[in-house]
Amino acid sequence: MEKSQYDLCLRLLGRLARQGILNNVILIGSWCLLFYKEYFTGVYFPPSIRTRDIDFLVTLPSKIKNKVNLSDLLKDLGFVPEFVGPKGYLRLTHPELIVEFLVPERGRGSDKPYPLPQLSLNAQPLRYLDFLAQNVIEISVAGLRVKLPHPVAFALHKLIISGRRAKQEKADKDRDQALALLHFVIKHDKPAKIKAIFGSMPKKWQKKINEVLTKLDEEDILAVLS
Amino acid sequence: MGVIKGVLKEELNNSLRMKQSYEKELAKIPRGTIVKKKVKGHEYCYLLTRERGKVKFAYKGKLSVSEISKYKRAKEYRSKYRKLLSQVKKQIRFLKGTLRGKESI
Repeated sequence: MEKSQYDLCLRLLGRLARQGILNNVILIGSWCLLFYKEYFTGVYFPPSIRTRDIDFLVTLPSKIKNKVNLSDLLKDLGFVPEFVGPKGYLRLTHPELIVEFLVPERGRGSDKPYPLPQLSLNAQPLRYLDFLAQNVIEISVAGLRVKLPHPVAFALHKLIISGRRAKQEKADKDRDQALALLHFVIKHDKPAKIKAIFGSMPKKWQKKINEVLTKLDEEDILAVLS
Repeated sequence: MGVIKGVLKEELNNSLRMKQSYEKELAKIPRGTIVKKKVKGHEYCYLLTRERGKVKFAYKGKLSVSEISKYKRAKEYRSKYRKLLSQVKKQIRFLKGTLRGKESI
């Protein structure tokens, strides 16, 4: 990874921390894989392919107290606002990073963006994000406390959403990342944690994960789950 | 290979959208730079712009400090966004080249 991209990421996290936003959001998406090396101490956690998107999950109801215009906060770093999709949810883009805010989708769901007036933006609602928010770890990155989903929760979530992806390449990427992470946890961390987090999932989700793993002949992981 | 190609395609689409966003932001920034000229001991402001390669000065009179700093900020952002736009264009060229291979993109 380019140093400039990592530096920009740290500057972004630093600004969010100073405004009291960072401690009320969870960093999700493939950037987590980079930061998991801080969690898996003592063993080498290999980096994985990822896009420039850096996603933050805002749990609902939002605990962000300060009112901050995020576009203005990041303007001098070179981020510009971009409205995506027919309903226009906002993301902030920079050649090195793309910042997006997501919220858990509940009930019947809707394709409308979810307004976050505290940040003067709207977020994209997505399914299954509550599960990530229920299994959070905290790590230290350059002196900043960053919340991430537990690696096992991250991997199991990826397995579930891989079945919902419209694009095959994205589904393959989700599965590859999930399997690599689960195999790593089995080999170097606490496999019991996989069973515990899996056990906390609704039966329907467990069934979905079992189906995916059976299809992929992932016997090692299935053995840990059973 | 499919995963890497998928990521590259996604990044190309991101860069194409990003290019539009920077062009849109650049279009919003007021054009020109404020320059000061001294006439008979008094300083007057002019807005310097270029039109078809020719430099033009538009008389602005005496501007307040906040108005001058507004133009100064606009100049800084213009320069920053142009640099970032050029970076995005390079990314697009690179990604298109990488994805081209034997099939059309």
